Amino acid sequence: MKTLILIAVLSLFFCGCARQNSTSLQDVAEELPVEVDMGEDESLTDDDFDDFDNFDDFDEGEEDEPDYYDPLEPMNRAFFAFNDKLYYWVLKPANYAYTAVLPYDIRLSLGNFVNNIAAPVRLLNNLLQWKIADAGVVLSRFVINSSLGVFGLADPALREFNLEPRPEDFGQTLGVWGVGEGIYFCWPVIGPSNVRDSIGFAGDVYAHPMVYYVEDYSVSAGYYVGSRLNLLSLNPGVYEDLKKYSLDPYVSMRQVYLDYRRHKIEDRATVQKNDNEL
Amino acid sequence: MRIKAVFIFSLLLVFSVFGISIATSSTTPTEELKPTLDGIMAVITDPAYEGPVNKEQRRTIIMEIARKGFDFTMMSRIALGKDWKKIDSKQREHFQELFTKLLENAYIGKLEDYTGQVTKYEGERIKGKKAEVRTLVMNNGVTLPVNYIMVNSDSGWRVYDIKIEGVRLLRNYKAQFKSIVRKEKFDGLIKVLEEKNATFAQEGSQS
Repeated sequence: MKTLILIAVLSLFFCGCARQNSTSLQDVAEELPVEVDMGEDESLTDDDFDDFDNFDDFDEGEEDEPDYYDPLEPMNRAFFAFNDKLYYWVLKPANYAYTAVLPYDIRLSLGNFVNNIAAPVRLLNNLLQWKIADAGVVLSRFVINSSLGVFGLADPALREFNLEPRPEDFGQTLGVWGVGEGIYFCWPVIGPSNVRDSIGFAGDVYAHPMVYYVEDYSVSAGYYVGSRLNLLSLNPGVYEDLKKYSLDPYVSMRQVYLDYRRHKIEDRATVQKNDNEL
Repeated sequence: MRIKAVFIFSLLLVFSVFGISIATSSTTPTEELKPTLDGIMAVITDPAYEGPVNKEQRRTIIMEIARKGFDFTMMSRIALGKDWKKIDSKQREHFQELFTKLLENAYIGKLEDYTGQVTKYEGERIKGKKAEVRTLVMNNGVTLPVNYIMVNSDSGWRVYDIKIEGVRLLRNYKAQFKSIVRKEKFDGLIKVLEEKNATFAQEGSQS
């Protein structure tokens, strides 16, 4: 109960701070994270089907312009091939060993822990996108999971309070602000990206508390690799499926990446995903 | 005065509801999608067709159901884009056959992995000849939003694209086909399709 009051007070305070123009307490109360449904309702608006208007599916005669810009394709393909080898030679065996050593529950807890630490990144980006209610949810989740969830190892915020994650990153923030994607990249190790998301990635690194507590870069890098490996262990087979069902995996992955990111920026997800899903 | 307003409002409401019911006197997209998906899942979960031994028979029955609910001609046409116009009817037929087989391997093959899934229908949206039916597929605690994009053809509403989290199956294949046709021409695409389908056939015989 104490925690609940604390959350309520904190979010009130928080929302008050964030909304510089807020006039009344009622306004603020409306933004309380208790109303988890707000996000859901938004997904049911007419905007959900906006891309209906862009349906050029039936106009086969039209010259179909590509909706991506990939002038570095030869280089990207080389890195894609490198990542492919990295996956099968290094990541997959590493994941195999990791999965064998650590049971699923522990990997899930580690994933929760890693996600909980990164809460400031999501908080900042929700704020920057002016998603005040969602920012409140992020804050509530952080407070609940850090206390009741024992340092964020468990996710009682989702299980007991039904507060779903509100993942936002700086790449999405830039997209919401109207920054264009720029050219497509396939980075070695990191994988598919574009100019906007690459800048976003760098921005998120600086918003991550890790940077301020650990000066050694190798620790941060190790943390990144470890958290990625953990995420992979919780989502095995995503990349292999893509390869299995595609004729040109490079093109398929580029399309998946760009479509998925655009969708995230439009925020029309009908379901909020678990933090531990890819 | 107020009662009058309420009366007029309710009258309007009745008329609008009535009007809608006339406009969609035929079946709705969801009503047409549901039996297709239910039918496919019924065959997949049927113990009589279980396992790799029964794969061929199972797939034959599934595809019979799928052909009624999915518009594979439309899918083939869209996936090839403007290249569809450059090939003759015989090539089109051949391409459609190969692409349908690939979709079978990808979509039905994926469904076969998730035998414990539950599909929830979350609503639909119709715009002209197109409709989008939103579903939630729940499998082992994981929820995935799968949207079916349908077209109203002579034989009713039929699926021509599947959208998951903004990623559209057909658009993805279209991008791949385009890239392959540009480099290796249409014959090259046919060859790649045949090779890809062969890998699935092999997989079935091995397991």
